Amino acid sequence: MSDALRFEGVGKRYGRRLPPALDGLACRFPQGAICGLVGPNGAGKTTAFSLVGGFLRADVGKVEVLGGPFDPFRLKGRLGVLPQDAELGDRHTPHEILAHLARLGGLPRVVAESEADRALESVNLGGDREKRVGALSHGMRRRVAVAAALVGRPELVLLDEPTAGLDPVQAASLRKVLDARRGTCTLVVSSHDLEELERLCDWIVMIDRGRCVRQGTIAEVTGRTQVIEWTLGPGEVPMQELEAALEGHSLRVEDRVLVQRAPDGADLDAASVVVAGALARAGVAIRQVRRGVSLERRFLDDAGKARE
Amino acid sequence: MRGSLRDVALVARFEVVRAIRTWRALALVVLYLVATAGAGKIFVELLSTMETALAHTLRVPPTDRPGAMTAKLLEGEELRSMLEGMVGDPQLVEGVLSHPLLAIFHLWLGLLLVPFFASANAAESISGDLKTRAVRWEAHRTGRLEIVFGRYLGQAGLTLAASVLSILATWIVGMVFMVRQPPLGLLVSLASFTVRAWAFGMAFVGLAMACSALTASPAWARVLAIGAAAGTWVLYGIARWGSEEWGAGIVWDALLQALPQGWMRGLWLPGVHWVPSAFVCLAFGLAATSAGALRFVRRDL
Repeated sequence: MSDALRFEGVGKRYGRRLPPALDGLACRFPQGAICGLVGPNGAGKTTAFSLVGGFLRADVGKVEVLGGPFDPFRLKGRLGVLPQDAELGDRHTPHEILAHLARLGGLPRVVAESEADRALESVNLGGDREKRVGALSHGMRRRVAVAAALVGRPELVLLDEPTAGLDPVQAASLRKVLDARRGTCTLVVSSHDLEELERLCDWIVMIDRGRCVRQGTIAEVTGRTQVIEWTLGPGEVPMQELEAALEGHSLRVEDRVLVQRAPDGADLDAASVVVAGALARAGVAIRQVRRGVSLERRFLDDAGKARE
Repeated sequence: MRGSLRDVALVARFEVVRAIRTWRALALVVLYLVATAGAGKIFVELLSTMETALAHTLRVPPTDRPGAMTAKLLEGEELRSMLEGMVGDPQLVEGVLSHPLLAIFHLWLGLLLVPFFASANAAESISGDLKTRAVRWEAHRTGRLEIVFGRYLGQAGLTLAASVLSILATWIVGMVFMVRQPPLGLLVSLASFTVRAWAFGMAFVGLAMACSALTASPAWARVLAIGAAAGTWVLYGIARWGSEEWGAGIVWDALLQALPQGWMRGLWLPGVHWVPSAFVCLAFGLAATSAGALRFVRRDL
């Protein structure tokens, strides 16, 4: 799979006395995937997005956007960015803003107008197209901003914290909007809501202190093909029996959670039947089963290791 | 190139729409209308006082409204020296007198006010969007030069619209408060002079755009822009004083040529002879905008 976006040893520093915002960042975002960019505050997510959108310039390294360096004319109509904290004009109407941005994206006036309508419809704001942005609620403004990034059907869309400040209903609705784009473009989403990213994304890039600490498909990152987490009820876990039956598997119990890690190439389905049987025989209730570790756990583990 | 020009036009169009939406355009128009109408009325009052004094001297009954004794007034020193002061060159007064007095005053006022009004308005064009980061919406869809020159073009349009509307205010003052004012003649003279004042003002809009690209604080940008405009007047005063005190020299001449004010005299020339000076002023504006653009393309947004 070719890459829609690639960072190669990218460094960016805001001041000599400040630590680098990006410190040799190297990662890739495959074409056509919904990608998540994960990292704690100050990890460099917004800086990375700003480099892609041409708002900042890298001190060192290379950012390749859709096959080349950032050039607004080469990327005309192909790149959409939802910048963090960038305000939309309060006095303008959503339709006016979106139509302007679509025209700047290279569309003729009539097409741009209908694209603006379509983008607003997609975020359920079709009925508010002529209201002033300043008169809209925070959530609605956020959706206008997302529509502004999506307008014109760009090939690559970067959304920096798209659900920030949205209530759960609005966030879920926005997630549906983004999910509907699956396969039509490459989406890169930065968010602190890891559960949301886990549900949405095919590809994950984790960064911390300006460096990539892990990247891969969601299955690779969360270990869905290798790990099963069993949340158990009271009772003694038959560890000896399990270790004997599952040679090569790593097994550990932590806070009533049995984490089972299979070796490469192992049949995880068959192994899960063995574990379930042993637990049933020991009278230990199974409260929840989960393939792979949560993105949050993976992220906390990686961030912890990186800080050690 | 074609795409680039299209983007400049789109950014300019949106700049005008934004000014209309935020009432900035209306504020600018009202400012121009009030200033030109108010100053025009003051000028008419002054003319009325001079005519009344002349009527007493000539022992003829004074008229209710000024304008009837202009020719007689011009035979005296008072009005002529006032016009010489406005035009800045005694030799140009005769040529200028083919236009109504009120139109002459309108251009003089325009040369004084348009730079400050226009630059105060243009100063926040980019800096405001840098502050709110709204510029990022456009910045990944078009080039930074296109953004700067689009904003400049938008401001040029706004300034022209406000200047053209101010013609109406001065024309009404002339028609209502003066006598013997040819309606069409006054309108044509006002229009011709307004274009000149606008061209002169564009040099300062360019300076304001450059200031706007320097800082993300609209307040600072406005202070810088008005300060820069005032600074050029101070430099102009120094250059004039220097050339009068020590005679024309290469330093003073160069300084005068390098300032938009150094081309004001040319804007008073009759016929189409004012056009080159107007183009030089527009070039000043573009040069200043380009200087701002050079900074803007390098800065973090």
